[in-house]
Amino acid sequence: MSGRADAGLVVVLLAALAGGLLLGGPGASPGQALSVLTGQGDADATAAVLGVRLPRLVLALAVGAALALAGAALQSLLANPLADPFLLGISGGGAAAATLAFAALPAAAIGLVPAAAMLGAAASTGLVWWMARGPLGPSPTRMLLAGVAVNAATSAVILAILALAPSPRLAGALAITMGSFAAATPEAAWWLAPYVAAPLLVLLYHGRDLGLLALGEESAAGLGVEVAIVRRRVFLAAAALCGGAVAFAGVIGFVGLITPHLCRLVWGYSPRRLFPRTALAGAALTALGDLAARSLLAPAELPVGVVTAVIGVPFFVALLRRSP
Amino acid sequence: MTLLVAAGLRGGYDGRDVVHGVDLEVRERTCTAILGPNGAGKSTLLRLLAGVLPSTGGTVELLGRPLASWRRREIARTLALVPQQVQLAFPLTVREVVEQGRAPHLGPWRPPGPHDHEAVATALTRVGLAGAGGRPVQRLSGGERQRVLLARALATEARLLLLDEPAAGLDVRHQLAFVETLRELQADGVASVVVLHDWNLALQLADQVLVLRGGSSYASGTPAAVLTETLFRQVFGVEVEIVRPTTGAPVIVARRQA
Repeated sequence: MSGRADAGLVVVLLAALAGGLLLGGPGASPGQALSVLTGQGDADATAAVLGVRLPRLVLALAVGAALALAGAALQSLLANPLADPFLLGISGGGAAAATLAFAALPAAAIGLVPAAAMLGAAASTGLVWWMARGPLGPSPTRMLLAGVAVNAATSAVILAILALAPSPRLAGALAITMGSFAAATPEAAWWLAPYVAAPLLVLLYHGRDLGLLALGEESAAGLGVEVAIVRRRVFLAAAALCGGAVAFAGVIGFVGLITPHLCRLVWGYSPRRLFPRTALAGAALTALGDLAARSLLAPAELPVGVVTAVIGVPFFVALLRRSP
Repeated sequence: MTLLVAAGLRGGYDGRDVVHGVDLEVRERTCTAILGPNGAGKSTLLRLLAGVLPSTGGTVELLGRPLASWRRREIARTLALVPQQVQLAFPLTVREVVEQGRAPHLGPWRPPGPHDHEAVATALTRVGLAGAGGRPVQRLSGGERQRVLLARALATEARLLLLDEPAAGLDVRHQLAFVETLRELQADGVASVVVLHDWNLALQLADQVLVLRGGSSYASGTPAAVLTETLFRQVFGVEVEIVRPTTGAPVIVARRQA
């Protein structure tokens, strides 16, 4: 079962890779793109495939992995199947800080936008957790309501910035709120790599602890988990993942919600089995989502956040109706 | 051999103490029953003894060392807390929950080995869930879930079990099985501290009884010495009759409110 499922995951991932390079967007037909990949393409097609599609694909894969992983970790940590970086306002916090940095910083300091996004993501994570903490610990309902509040606040901040920002910066700031890989560069993909790799190691290290936390904090503490330490590290890892994703691709919702649930259906619950596969599945789904965003209304392009929301909202409603 | 000693133990929630200075000594191969009316601080005392709730005063020593100097994973290998319930937000199977009991022995990286699988299988068999490993815990009844949590504690192979109302949701047959299991464990050298609402179960099981009222220790000692008509009137506010048959343990029958 598990071996076949792993093979299926590899097939989906390969499909995402092939689709991302061969299809979608102007500049090269599938045949031309194939010749580029075998080293025989002309200059225009090479520029389209290796200069535009490849960085975009790599960024989509990395962002998808980051969001899916953050969702899986938060769901375990908070013992809440509805936890998702987008719904909890973590992406929103990152986006508000990134938009602010984008609008306010001088052009030379634009490299600080990811750091700002991460700080914003960490701050909103802490805020949501603090608001949700009731006398009996953070309840799933309070957590979601806190996410609603944080999302409302960050939206207000972003709108205010968009209204006041100097016009040359407006397009970049707007892209952050929409979620898009259109501005992908090879550098962006490289920059994002450590923001995915380092948290992945942290989450794998605490995988067993996170599995225990899914039955509640007291239960986990009774089985030897240093809850306060694990919580701090996992929150920071999730904030790094979300902040990195938001900084390079803007707000993309529901990947962090859907992917872990789909993967749990296939690979069961154990976080140590689940996390690496969730990262790969999130990468594949997001790359395929981006392919759809590029292709559905071609030559016009949808923000990828729209595609993930179209798939994610019904999924969220179904989960909500099933939850106790 | 003494496993656990608490002295003047205090603690509670949000800055308000619920337990006000409790003393307790637990020796190996013994069963201690904690009795008391609702809100007397029984569950809180268990949490303080397990160290999952930080104390605000007094001391707990486990195997002669202050509990605060232990790493959490070491504690979890030595004593196992069985809560009344856990959060079940995800569809874990019975086996997945019971396997959690091996986590204190495994650390972050080591995969479970033959001994870990054996401990899980033994624990499942002991609580009568040997064939139910694949069932989702969410679909089980309250009593079955309690047995799953007991099995998880047994899988830790800890020397001391702290059980919070483990028999509350069990039918009569499984209550008897629970008594049997606890006796077997006792023979293996395991000690237990059990919060109970069933006085007669305490009479059957316990070597010593601690009665809490308002977060303080009201009485402690052997069940026969502690559980008297006067105590039930003063602590629980009920008139009881203690029937002493010619053979077997006495039976406590509640008659009316005092």
